[in-house]
Amino acid sequence: MKRILICVFALLVFGMAHAEQKRADVPIGDSPSLGPADAPVTIIEFIDFQ
Amino acid sequence: MAAGPTVKQILQTYPGKIRLVIKNYPYKYRDFARVAAEASLAAKDQGKYWEMHDILIARSPKLDRVSLIAYAGELGLDVNKFSESIDSGKHAKEIDGDVQLAESIDLFNTPTFYINGRQVVGERPFDYFKKIIDEELHQPGR
Repeated sequence: MKRILICVFALLVFGMAHAEQKRADVPIGDSPSLGPADAPVTIIEFIDFQ
Repeated sequence: MAAGPTVKQILQTYPGKIRLVIKNYPYKYRDFARVAAEASLAAKDQGKYWEMHDILIARSPKLDRVSLIAYAGELGLDVNKFSESIDSGKHAKEIDGDVQLAESIDLFNTPTFYINGRQVVGERPFDYFKKIIDEELHQPGR
């Protein structure tokens, strides 16, 4: 029983870590930006005007 | 490609909640992609980035040098300074930096978005973005 619990816990932690990995850390730098710097949502758009 | 109207709609729907950041990923096999990116940053130097950004999206694919200079004129920019900037590739380093960043995160398509780091590839309907933004806004601590 204890072993099963440890397994479940390990899977859970792994799953959470995996979900977090889906977030890319894209530096903003001096790129053009609009809206408050402390906005709850930051959208970074990679654009090609053509 | 750029997703003008959808992005506009997002900004209007969530006033004060969104910070929009633009990075350039001019596809190397499109003739005017690179010079259009230069044009946007040349306009930024004169305080009219977003005005130029909107014109470029609206008039794309008419983005040859002569057209770009005409747009600068329409926006009341100093056309000589603007032309000098795009002709000399004044912002080449900045654009190269964005391209390198894109490739380092396995991005090869435009538009690609990162919403609090969550990747969205390609043009998507407004509701697709809305769902992700609502999830982000409802995260604890936001």
